Amino acid sequence: MSRHADDTSRAVAERDRGHARLRAVTAAAGVASLVAAGAVGLALPGAQHAASAGTASASTAASAPASSGSTASTGASSSATNAAARKTAARSSGSLSKATSSPTASSGSGTVTSGGS
Amino acid sequence: MSGITSSTALWYASRATGIICLVLLTAVMVLGILVNRQGRLPGLPRFAVTGLHRNLSLLAVGFLAVHVATAIADPFVTIGLAAVVVPLASPYRSLWIGLGAVSLDLMLVLIVTSLARAHIGRRTWRGLHWLAYACWPVALAHSVGSSGDLRAGPLLALTAACTLAVAGALTWRIVRARRATPRARRVAVVLSAQAGAR
Repeated sequence: MSRHADDTSRAVAERDRGHARLRAVTAAAGVASLVAAGAVGLALPGAQHAASAGTASASTAASAPASSGSTASTGASSSATNAAARKTAARSSGSLSKATSSPTASSGSGTVTSGGS
Repeated sequence: MSGITSSTALWYASRATGIICLVLLTAVMVLGILVNRQGRLPGLPRFAVTGLHRNLSLLAVGFLAVHVATAIADPFVTIGLAAVVVPLASPYRSLWIGLGAVSLDLMLVLIVTSLARAHIGRRTWRGLHWLAYACWPVALAHSVGSSGDLRAGPLLALTAACTLAVAGALTWRIVRARRATPRARRVAVVLSAQAGAR
């Protein structure tokens, strides 16, 4: 009888230890996931990509008839350049960004187009 | 140096949570296979492996919710609410985002049926749980197809590691299932072994 009670209490203690370990592992996995998400977010390409792609984007925009004119492409605000660069980076990296939208600041004269004759 | 600003934060958050979600889903998949073949993890009792499988799947759903919410909220993305669950409804990269919607739908079925397991019966739950084998590859295809992040550098290695982990676990499951005595003959085998011991 006493042996049976000992076995039962030992099994209950073992089960409680198992639950505690499960909680600890789950909490560790949750914290590790959050930390990893932050680290991955910081390490993801985009900024450098965008900065290097910015010039190409601006020049591409200048040569496209539907986009801003040469005045806008050369004198565009930094936010417009960044937006265009981000879209170019998104296009090349295939990330979640709307690749088809035009830059926000397209306030050029629109009179100069590529291959002007 | 990171390029995270107030205007790009959602974009980065969506990408980062998507990657973590893939890793978590891989872990859930491997643990599920382990649970199925009564496998164990060092330092954890068997019931804790099942519990970890469940907890990590709920954690993955949390990350998935952030991934989807940030993708929709990002002003540079035109995905739309319907495209979250309806395949091919997104005007942007409809195929790859559509695969994400399929994967999300499958995952919802898996989670809901697991939570309602007591009501739908073990047989139905088990049949529906086979969908997990479709959910993971579709999620992988969505991850690789919709983002170039996983196609180069360390994240390509991470993708390969996830694929190898699931392939390895699947192989282990098949090998163990072939070696195991079929359920119908198990009782006879145990009884004859006991009779032999006497």
